[in-house]
Amino acid sequence: MAAAAAGAVPAAAVAAAGAEPAAAAAAAAGPGEEAGAGPLCPGPLRLARLPLARVKALVKADPDVSLASQEAVYILARAAELFVETIAKDAYVYAQQGKRKTLQRKDLDNAIEAIDEFAFLEGTLD
Amino acid sequence: MAERPEDLNLPNAVITRIIKEALPDGVNISKEARSAISRAASVFVLYATSCANNFAMKGKRKTLNAGDVLSAMEEMEFQRFVAPLKESLEVYRREQKGKKEARKDKDKKADSEEQDKSREEENDDDDERMEEEEPNEEEEVDN
Repeated sequence: MAAAAAGAVPAAAVAAAGAEPAAAAAAAAGPGEEAGAGPLCPGPLRLARLPLARVKALVKADPDVSLASQEAVYILARAAELFVETIAKDAYVYAQQGKRKTLQRKDLDNAIEAIDEFAFLEGTLD
Repeated sequence: MAERPEDLNLPNAVITRIIKEALPDGVNISKEARSAISRAASVFVLYATSCANNFAMKGKRKTLNAGDVLSAMEEMEFQRFVAPLKESLEVYRREQKGKKEARKDKDKKADSEEQDKSREEENDDDDERMEEEEPNEEEEVDN
């Protein structure tokens, strides 16, 4: 669990990941989710839980892209994870305003409308 | 069927877990919200890729590298991702190096005879190609 948790602050992430990364990684990672991490890597582990093959498929979908390094695919996967965390948290603010404990689609729509960084999503989720 | 790039989904189970871990305990996500976030993540990757590719082309390179992705994050106004991503990259690089060392050692032990032709190729420029090191994914796909 610890290795999987990611905050926006690297220090928090390192601290969280420091606790039993191997066991946590084994528990948290489902089939095919590890981004090539060895089984017994000590220290701060930032495994990408999103499978690299799927991310790679998205990268390849761009006709202008010829090749991407393994590192690039990995960083994109990690960035996508950070993005998911970020947008979930931002949307949750609206659920809280509505005194709900369930995040709903409209919370997401509100966040996308309100937050500049999410402008690229407008019109893409329907 | 994936007709458009945005239809290339990331696995629901992983997306759900990332969301749950980002939110306080006891908070739920509706199926529609989860699905929309998943789709948003795909769009994010597509957008980031396109952005990163611009940087690669500016640098007259045909291969997207990690630096291009980091530049893309800044361009997309996700500067706050840059620091954690750099850290992840460091860890990733160390791991890759460690795995290479481990493989080299294994080779030395296993067969001193048929060495390294194939191994040495892997050692060069592993930053170049999109090579998967992990085994085939059989992640759950519940659409």
